[in-house]
Amino acid sequence: MNSKKFALFALLVCALAPVSHAQVKHIQMRVEGMT
Amino acid sequence: MKQHLGRQSGVQSVDVSLIDGKVEIVPKEDGRLDPPQLLKAVYDSGVSVAEMEITARGKIARDASGNLVLNVNPNQSFAIASNNLSKELEPLAGSPIAITVRGQLYKKAEGKTKRKPDMSAPLRFFVLEIQKKE
Repeated sequence: MNSKKFALFALLVCALAPVSHAQVKHIQMRVEGMT
Repeated sequence: MKQHLGRQSGVQSVDVSLIDGKVEIVPKEDGRLDPPQLLKAVYDSGVSVAEMEITARGKIARDASGNLVLNVNPNQSFAIASNNLSKELEPLAGSPIAITVRGQLYKKAEGKTKRKPDMSAPLRFFVLEIQKKE
């Protein structure tokens, strides 16, 4: 039973991990009127 | 402006170069940045944004209209403008492959003197470089 739960947990981690790493990594802006 | 931007949620650090007018923003780890909010914050600090580029990691999908989008968070996605590079991304729509791309999210219209960015239309992601597919 425990191995079944572990397998389900591992499957969920594999499925969700790439989404959690999705993100904006860097932003660069060119601005005008700055003194 | 640095203080204005530094107060926005999801911002780790802000680096401003007065010489070439460039502003670099590093997001927090797993932070959720809101680019339109950053544009507004810059405007509120008294300067105007000529262009904004972002590097993001996410998955390619299609929206309800069938247009390509880059999903960077469950609740955040950018509509991808069509160009030669976006065509390379089309086969990845709906696949589990994550990509890292650099692109332009905002550019001030030519000859426009008005400082405030037009927020009536959603920002479109114009792909400039596909950095990584994994």
